[in-house]
Amino acid sequence: MSIQQPADNGTADSQPSATSPGTVTANNNETPKLKTAPPEKPSDIRRRSHIILSFWLIVLCLGLPIWWKTTTIYRADLPLQEMLDWADGKACRPVFPLRISIQANTLQDQEAQNLLRLTQHALDDLNDFSGHHLRLQLAPPMAAENHDRESVLTIRLLPGETTTATFDQYEPVLDITYPPNAIPSPTSSSSSLATYIAGQLRSTFAEEQATISYLLSTNSIPSDHRPQGLSPDVAESLSKRTTRSLKYAPTYHLTFSLFTSGPLPSSWDIEEAIAEYMKPVLDVLSPIHNFTIDTQVQLYATPGVQNQVLNKEDLSSFINAAEWPLSPSIGGAPTINFIVFVGNQTIASPSQSPGEGAIPGSTSHSWLIPQWGTIYLLPLPHDKTHVDSSALKQPLLTFTSHLLSFTGAPQSGSLPLRLSTLARIRSADLLLRASSTLGSLARLALALPSISIPSSVADGVSKTIRHLRLACETLGGPEGLAHARIAEAEAERAFFEKSMVGQLYFPDEHKVAVYLPLLGPVAVPLVMGLLNELKAWRKRRREAAEAGAGKKKE
Amino acid sequence: MDGAKVTPGRTAGLYAGAAVLRLAIFTLFPGIPDLLTGRVEISTPVTSFKRLQEGLFLYNHNVSPYDGGVYHQAPLFLPLFSLLPSSASLPIFTYLLYIAVDLLSASALWRIADSGESGSSALFTSPRREKRWSGFVIAALFLLNPFTVATCIGRSTSVFTTCAILHAVAKAVSGAPFGAMVALSFASYLSMYPLLLLPPLVLLCYDRQRSGRATKSMLQFAGTCTATVAGVLSVLFQLSYLLTGSWEFLPSTYGVQLTLSDLAPNVGLWWYFFIEMFDSFRSFFLAVFWLHLSSYVAGLTVRIRRQPLVVLTLLLGIFNIFKPYPSISDTSLFLALVPLYRHVFPLMRYTFVSAAVVLYASCLGPAFYYLWIYAGSGNANFFYAITLVWGLGLSLLVCDLMFAVLRDEWEVERPEMAGKEIRQI
Repeated sequence: MSIQQPADNGTADSQPSATSPGTVTANNNETPKLKTAPPEKPSDIRRRSHIILSFWLIVLCLGLPIWWKTTTIYRADLPLQEMLDWADGKACRPVFPLRISIQANTLQDQEAQNLLRLTQHALDDLNDFSGHHLRLQLAPPMAAENHDRESVLTIRLLPGETTTATFDQYEPVLDITYPPNAIPSPTSSSSSLATYIAGQLRSTFAEEQATISYLLSTNSIPSDHRPQGLSPDVAESLSKRTTRSLKYAPTYHLTFSLFTSGPLPSSWDIEEAIAEYMKPVLDVLSPIHNFTIDTQVQLYATPGVQNQVLNKEDLSSFINAAEWPLSPSIGGAPTINFIVFVGNQTIASPSQSPGEGAIPGSTSHSWLIPQWGTIYLLPLPHDKTHVDSSALKQPLLTFTSHLLSFTGAPQSGSLPLRLSTLARIRSADLLLRASSTLGSLARLALALPSISIPSSVADGVSKTIRHLRLACETLGGPEGLAHARIAEAEAERAFFEKSMVGQLYFPDEHKVAVYLPLLGPVAVPLVMGLLNELKAWRKRRREAAEAGAGKKKE
Repeated sequence: MDGAKVTPGRTAGLYAGAAVLRLAIFTLFPGIPDLLTGRVEISTPVTSFKRLQEGLFLYNHNVSPYDGGVYHQAPLFLPLFSLLPSSASLPIFTYLLYIAVDLLSASALWRIADSGESGSSALFTSPRREKRWSGFVIAALFLLNPFTVATCIGRSTSVFTTCAILHAVAKAVSGAPFGAMVALSFASYLSMYPLLLLPPLVLLCYDRQRSGRATKSMLQFAGTCTATVAGVLSVLFQLSYLLTGSWEFLPSTYGVQLTLSDLAPNVGLWWYFFIEMFDSFRSFFLAVFWLHLSSYVAGLTVRIRRQPLVVLTLLLGIFNIFKPYPSISDTSLFLALVPLYRHVFPLMRYTFVSAAVVLYASCLGPAFYYLWIYAGSGNANFFYAITLVWGLGLSLLVCDLMFAVLRDEWEVERPEMAGKEIRQI
């Protein structure tokens, strides 16, 4: 803009003036106009107006539309109310209808129906949490062997000597034997067998129920959907378990490391051992998580603690974080470390130091570090160069059981039941997490009216809501988990949209600082030029009118 | 020097001297061409010879030269340079080409100077026009200007644009509108910004039409000229399309200039600004900078209607300061045209200050760049500060020249004011 000044200047200079030679000043620029009417003057004036017009035409015809186009903030429409409803738990009431089938092939149909009714009554009396209710149904007698996929648990009623209950190791099946006299008569309103079954079921699902109600209570679900009376110690143990388990991620990375204090052993049959002892569990976990695995061997690894007997305090500093190549996370997925340490160190027995960091199931060879991994001390003869898979059996079984607690699976029950419970807990967790992310996004959009919302965010939100709705309908089943997973991933993606994050802290006052330094100096000559020109034009018109009036008088 | 007779021998001597000087630098100091090619003051992302080599390599290996995002120059350079032997094995041909381009520019400048357009145009005759430098002096000033020499040694492709612009002006003053428009189209094709010179160039052509076949209507004339430029440009674009097989070259050459996607530092004012710019305002300020650059065209053309060559000179000076990827090559083009106004030099007020500032900046600029990039004892602000000073010096020169020209015009209207002091109002 610097040259505009001389341009205007020159325009003014070239105006003929009849004042004394030497200086041309603002005052005598005006006076000669009154005195003389030089022939060039109109053309000069016209030229100056043209110049000013040419600048203003560019500003108005190009500048303003470009300004409008490039600085308008695009805000895609978000279903804000719906998002807030999800976050407040109004849109979905998490209900876990668990169907339990009873196989009573030895009973008469009517007897079985009666037993079912009584047990259901007993269950309903025991249950205080409406979101999590058990529905009993009678399995068709034909499906004797393979249990119904729809139901989470099958109860096989078998005649026996006494009333016992045993879980099947491989199938979600509860075998209950009953003495012949325990069958309730069709007219009786209570039965000890029914109460027994109800009690068994209740204790089986107590942990799941507690976990889910704990989840709900830590989220902003309205209290009427919430179960009452979560006892403090249960809540405490649940929160402890939650801190131990890792945050949910679709993929976990498992790192198996063999650290040896000396040169030997230098190889291990880890792949075979994993395939044999861990793969089955990984397979059944696969609907919930994917796993990637890598392994490493490190010789001459010095632990952080050199004591022969490790006390409770030593366990936390055993990991030599400075030297052991344990990367915190590989490829974005959270890493779980499983370390086999070959050395002659032992852990002080739990009676000497009751370790809180070690879970009750851990042996004196291993301990678990919450959200990080497990260390297993493996004593081996000094001259052993190779660790075969049979020697790795115990470590890997420990790792497997710890893996389940890292993923947040409940502690009790048979494995199939624990896994299906884990799926339900995770779907509830994901559902709640996605809902609360939606709520945060909605609150963000409301709180910052100047934030831009790209259409990808709107897409993500609509996808999240669709999957949330589907997940809510099929909660408790495998599809529910799949939908909840998608919903959570989409919600996170929408919330952490890159172009939005940049504008999070961009208040309106900053715009002044952005525009003024450059546009201010540019605008001053433009505006002043326009104002002067308008003033001169008004003055000319008035003079012309006066001159016209004077002529008329004459 | 004024009015000295120029014999053919002296002409040949000047050209030969300039050529020998360049050739001597090329051959006696083989490290210097590559050193200068790497300097940010000479090679911008859109003119760098190094990047041209990269594009040429891709082109010769049947890969699109714009793959990799390094090459941002016009596609027609590629067949031209692939005709020459490789500059790595036989650099002499490349050197000769660049020397020839410089000499061509000088001869165009010579013709402009000899036409006397700067002193007396169709609508205005300066009372001081007698005091001028001959074409020989002006060509010598151009050829021996260290900026021109450095640009030639650095083999920046902007010398082709310079040559095309000077030829456009030379054609215009010699009354060949068609040739001028074709030359301007080439310049615009190579660097885009010369398109903004179209309005004053059309006026110059209009004023200098040969009396025999003059078109009377200004609008008709301007329409014909614009159509010519559009036609030649579309032919060039078509050729480029056939050459590269896609329209990819448009965003890679002109898009880069428009969006400043390559933020390599240069002597201009844009790069630092857009490094610091918030992303959400980037496109807006790009538009503001471009509008600012082009807003001068109309105003100056209207104001100094009687001397279109002055408008061209001043616009080249302004572009040299405010365009997205300026280099000292643009400065050398502006400084080549300034001596045409020898007759208004006495009216300029800040010659010493602007000359001193430009010299100061050209000495300290490389030093500050060294401190920032190599020594690490400075930061980007060092270099940006010196480019601000550089821009200040050049804008002082532009303003001063404009003032002198306007004062010259004004004294024709007010002869009694000649030599008197005036005051800004």
